[in-house]
Amino acid sequence: MSQDNHSARPQGRPPEGDSRLSRVEAQLRSPFLFFFVSALIWLLASSVLALISAFKLQAAAGVLDCEIFTYGRVSAAQHNLFIYGWGFNAFFAVNLWLTSQLGRFELRNAWLVTLGAVVWNLTLTYGVLRIFAGDMNSFSLLEMPRGVGPVLAVAFLLAAFWPIVAYARRPTGHSFASQWFIVGASFVFPLTYLLTQLLVLWNPASGVVQALAHSWFIQNLLLLWLGGSALASVYYFLPKVLGRNITGYYLASVAFWTFFLFAGWTGSASLLGSPIPLWVQSVGVVGAAMLLVPIIITAINFHGTLSVDGGWSRAWNSTTLRFVSFGAVAFTIAGFLNAFFSFRGYNAVVRFTSFGAGQEQLLTYAFASMVIFGAAYFILPRLTGSLWPSAKLVHLHFWATALAAVGSIAAALTVGWQSGKQLADASVPYAKVLAASSGLATASVLFAILFLVGHVAFALNAFGMILKSSAPAAESRHD
Amino acid sequence: MNDRNRHPDNNRHRRGPSGAGSDGLSDGRLVEVHSQIARDKEEPQEGFSLTPILIVFLFCGFGFWAGLYLTRNSGQFSASAFDLDAPKAVAEGASKVFEPDAAKGEKLFLTNCAVCHQPTGLGLTGVFPPLAGSPWVAGTDERMIKAILAGLAGEIEVKGVKYVGIMPNIGAGLKDAQIANIATYVRSAWGNNAEPVMDTKVAEVRKALAGHAPYSPAELAKEHPLEAK
Repeated sequence: MSQDNHSARPQGRPPEGDSRLSRVEAQLRSPFLFFFVSALIWLLASSVLALISAFKLQAAAGVLDCEIFTYGRVSAAQHNLFIYGWGFNAFFAVNLWLTSQLGRFELRNAWLVTLGAVVWNLTLTYGVLRIFAGDMNSFSLLEMPRGVGPVLAVAFLLAAFWPIVAYARRPTGHSFASQWFIVGASFVFPLTYLLTQLLVLWNPASGVVQALAHSWFIQNLLLLWLGGSALASVYYFLPKVLGRNITGYYLASVAFWTFFLFAGWTGSASLLGSPIPLWVQSVGVVGAAMLLVPIIITAINFHGTLSVDGGWSRAWNSTTLRFVSFGAVAFTIAGFLNAFFSFRGYNAVVRFTSFGAGQEQLLTYAFASMVIFGAAYFILPRLTGSLWPSAKLVHLHFWATALAAVGSIAAALTVGWQSGKQLADASVPYAKVLAASSGLATASVLFAILFLVGHVAFALNAFGMILKSSAPAAESRHD
Repeated sequence: MNDRNRHPDNNRHRRGPSGAGSDGLSDGRLVEVHSQIARDKEEPQEGFSLTPILIVFLFCGFGFWAGLYLTRNSGQFSASAFDLDAPKAVAEGASKVFEPDAAKGEKLFLTNCAVCHQPTGLGLTGVFPPLAGSPWVAGTDERMIKAILAGLAGEIEVKGVKYVGIMPNIGAGLKDAQIANIATYVRSAWGNNAEPVMDTKVAEVRKALAGHAPYSPAELAKEHPLEAK
């Protein structure tokens, strides 16, 4: 990969720093690596915590039997580390790289980005430690103590403001779908995060408004920040690696606007049947269904591009595209599932089951995380100028994570559906419903181990590569 | 594992004979395409063509459906509708659940009764008997309801004073709930202290009376003897 880059470098460009890197990438190198290494560490930490919490569910007593490692704390810490540690750090890095590449933006103030990264990760560490200490809020993904919120927002601005600058300063009037999605995502997160902090933690609104604000925040976080950033990567890597235009690209702007228009409205669909005004619930259902517009368009864009001229098999043979197209397929499935199960009849069945967790994992792991992996396989060799140390580990990483993702999501969805049916049936004793879900608990231990294996394989490979490149005059000879 | 040779990141293969940095590009068509894209400096650019009419129709259909769904499932956008069945429940519930309300009763009393019995409830000497402290309005509520519904004509003795007058069947033009509110008010005002009256009781009495002629006080006292204080 680095060789390709090398041969692609325009001949007239003066070498600066590492001769293999363009100036754009040379500026990015250290903040990118800082973000990415942090992301990897958090990913490993959250995988270990996921394993612990899976054990806790499977055998309630016996494993790490002390207060700090009670299920509530471990699973909250795991959730926060996975989203704020892994997802955010990784997309800070990938978004910065993408917009700099697309906008030919030379990052002059890399220290500001790195400062943002340091503040973000230190604050996150503090917040998660407080969760372990038992000092947490009851709102999912807002568990960290409320003082953490504003600091995280400032760190976000330092770390993720640059894509907007890069977009504004792009040399040509043209822009590409990836840029729109990244700019939109970078705007959405700090706004929704601060507003929700205000409405839920600092100045709690009365009654159901808290629940509404929280569900709105979750949807914005998952769909617009994680989802929007991941869509940007898919829009970039498919044409980049396959070497062809995106099918039906003219629809992409419709996808962008409808995605950002409707995603924020889907939150209240997760509150169906709760005591919020009926019309707010119905707006959520309509939002989730209208979200099918961007889902269909991105499906045309992605799967259309992949379907032409043996694209699928070429994608399969490229590590980057293997992960990215896995994510693209997952996104389409997630969108249809979300619309389908927002309808009252189906929603009533799967409410209060593991189905929702499966849906979230489909979005955050099978889509967003797989796309991050794919992006990393493309970007890291370019920035470090070295090669992935082990192909076996690459294969292990893909198979372990793909199988674990498919398995755990399918298990959560089917068990959720089944137990929902049983819960609605008064003739089925509750013990029988519980027995079905205990099978899920056993399976989730296996999947957590599989996830951990995949992540360790990826981390070994990535750390090996980064260390090799930072060692002076290591293998990478400049010819 | 047999696709390892075509794997772009399989650097072991790439590193192979030629070593890192030299072109190990002969590996598979993926790498070939890869280098081809990397060679031209363009990033992906946008292109335009006409939007297929089918997709436009499909998305317009979505919008149409969304409007229908919202209007049909939103309980008239009422802030107090929480359930799909809620609109009906609210409409029926409002008339079903009755709470005796002395404040409403006072208003009704002032428009319907106060002309004779006076807003003070003291009546007019010799003609209109007082309600304040009257044993006729205390005790059982049926006596009072009957008087309001059917009217009262003849000599009546209240607190040792005799009155001769006619009370029209003013209750015939009022609703059950209104009569219940009036009676509740009268039975709780001016120092009176008797149980509130339910609209169901009024309906019951109205049905039993079925257009009874105005009572004489004696007849009414016979049906419902005045309770001793």
